[in-house]
Amino acid sequence: MTASPVQRDLRISKARNKNEWLWAYLLIAPTIIGLGALNVYPFFDSLYTSLLKSQGLGPTKFIGLQNYAKMFGSAEIWRTTLNTLWYVVLTVPVGVFLALVLAALLNTKIRGRDLYRGIYFLPMVVAPAAIAMVWRWIFNAENGILNQALLMLGIVGPKWLSDPNTALAACAAVGVWSSVGYDLVLILAGLQSISSTYYEASEIDGANWAQQFFRITVPLISPTLFFVILMRMMNSIKQFDTIFMLVKPENPAFKSTATLMVIFFREAFEKFNKGYASAVVVWSMVIIGAITAVQFVAEKKLVYYE
Amino acid sequence: MKKLLAALLLLCLALTALAPLALAEDVTITFAFWDTNQEPGMKAIAEAYMAGHPGVKVETQVTPWDQYWTKLEAAAQGGALPDVFWMHSNQFFKYANAGMLLDVTDLNYDYTPYPPGVTKLYNYGGAQLAIPKDYDTIALAYNKEIFDKAGIPYPDDTWDWAKLREVAAQLTDKENGVYGFAAQQDTQSGYYSVVYQNEGFIFENGVPGFDQAATQEAIQWWTDLTLKDGVSPDAASFADMGRDDQFQAGKVAMVFVGSWMMSSYTSNEQINDKFDLAVLPQGKVRASIYNGLGYSGAYNTPHPDVVKDFLAFCGSEEANILQAQNKAAIPAYAGTEHYFVENFPNINIGAYPEMIAYGVQFPFGPNKSLWEPIETEEIAAVYSGEKTVAQACNDLNAQILEIEAE
Repeated sequence: MTASPVQRDLRISKARNKNEWLWAYLLIAPTIIGLGALNVYPFFDSLYTSLLKSQGLGPTKFIGLQNYAKMFGSAEIWRTTLNTLWYVVLTVPVGVFLALVLAALLNTKIRGRDLYRGIYFLPMVVAPAAIAMVWRWIFNAENGILNQALLMLGIVGPKWLSDPNTALAACAAVGVWSSVGYDLVLILAGLQSISSTYYEASEIDGANWAQQFFRITVPLISPTLFFVILMRMMNSIKQFDTIFMLVKPENPAFKSTATLMVIFFREAFEKFNKGYASAVVVWSMVIIGAITAVQFVAEKKLVYYE
Repeated sequence: MKKLLAALLLLCLALTALAPLALAEDVTITFAFWDTNQEPGMKAIAEAYMAGHPGVKVETQVTPWDQYWTKLEAAAQGGALPDVFWMHSNQFFKYANAGMLLDVTDLNYDYTPYPPGVTKLYNYGGAQLAIPKDYDTIALAYNKEIFDKAGIPYPDDTWDWAKLREVAAQLTDKENGVYGFAAQQDTQSGYYSVVYQNEGFIFENGVPGFDQAATQEAIQWWTDLTLKDGVSPDAASFADMGRDDQFQAGKVAMVFVGSWMMSSYTSNEQINDKFDLAVLPQGKVRASIYNGLGYSGAYNTPHPDVVKDFLAFCGSEEANILQAQNKAAIPAYAGTEHYFVENFPNINIGAYPEMIAYGVQFPFGPNKSLWEPIETEEIAAVYSGEKTVAQACNDLNAQILEIEAE
């Protein structure tokens, strides 16, 4: 019995299908393996470690939810959670707004545009530790360039990094400064993908600059903005290096700037309490998850997809 | 073409197979430490050893103090410790307890030339787990220029607490941003010496001493210099600019400073011809905190014999002279101190070795690395005005007891 031509074609396409799937899996394998080894496994390992008493190099002991009980019973966790959320409030709206405005400006035809783009992106390629060291000098209460400049205007500047009232804002300023260039590039890419025909058509209809910005630019850029805000929020909650370098534990402002990641580092790598530190990390993850969930709900209402 | 390619591939394979054989003759051991000031001294020791042992390569690795212990712990857990590394009293117990350090008892080393406190420090249950490297003490550094301007005689060995406070007040000139003394929050070169001068204690035989009246009195005196007497810059000022930088910039007249800082002080042109040293002023008794570092080996080093041989060399008189000549630290080997002293002809560096006579070993304990960060937080609460000295010390004492009990 010979197969009909149709059957034969089916068999060939099935075989080809299988072959294609194999290739697809093979090609994504490096990423999947990397994700598994570097993200998925450590994630579950952190969850498990948060249930252990793990101190120093000694043996570990399963203690159930005791780390969580201790954590939520401490004033420190609530204080640092508030600090973290404050940091998000201080950095995300200002940072994204600045990035949007700068991107809109850099999307116009101005002289030296490429130079400006380079300058704004520059902080992204500098190591955070170096950024922190430079800003420590800028913020130095007595000799720092910022207070020296204020002094010329007759203002005695605050002790930026050691006054509990200004330290977190100072850290936030550094955070915004170092992230605005990256957000700017993303938004700029979004702006450039908007077809010029919309603007031409609206011009014919007599729309002014403001109408164009709010009726065309904002809706069409909203998917990019959504992504930028989402990433910026996550990164702000996870912000560690600059704050850690700018405000040390002996600093009187330490308590008002220590974020969740800072106490996580102190617990894990200075006090060597890995179990407790993992509980802190899980708690930060819950916060990030909750905020992200809210954002995805908001996305359905506010974000416009072409 | 194909044949050529195949031949090339084969050649490559053969070479990679041969590579380990070629290297097998040479042994490379890694040598990790934290102090960049001492890098020349350590390199000199490594080179001297390599000169006598062709076929052995010693690779030095410097990591700053803050990251050194984080890195070392990760390495210990991953089984990838450096072959030889510096050990400190704060962390020793943790590594000893976890069996991470190479037992060098069977070297049958002669420990008589070293300060007994340092040798004992690195002895764990009868096993010697590090070779003494050096010791350091704390002295009083003062800015001669500021003293001359005020017409006040320099500090000397007759000074006591009252005198220090009195002169500090005389030298304080807030309008010009100059303070008499730097009472920064610090343990080893801060209030620890003062506590022992007042016959208090920090931690001895597993018992914390922060609840003792004498300890609290000393910490009160130390923090009062900033908070009540106003003769020292405050915590906010030190957060912007550390004690040593302020002293070197001529903003404070006197400071407690460890001997390990001398190579940095004397190489700073802003200060090197303007400062001198005196022994610490006395309280009820004389005391200066001393601490000794040690050279340890990794328990799992693939070359234990080479490592032990190198450790023995590091402890030798020759290596001690090398580290002293390179301004690294006061060598642990008795009789070699003068090589260190001779490096600093213009200052009274002899104050450091002089104080070993009444030196007090830097407090240590098996769980110190766990409670030290808590100590930082509690004492910081005194400086910020959140807690009184008694509250902070009692809270701290209770937390240490809790950690020690676990």
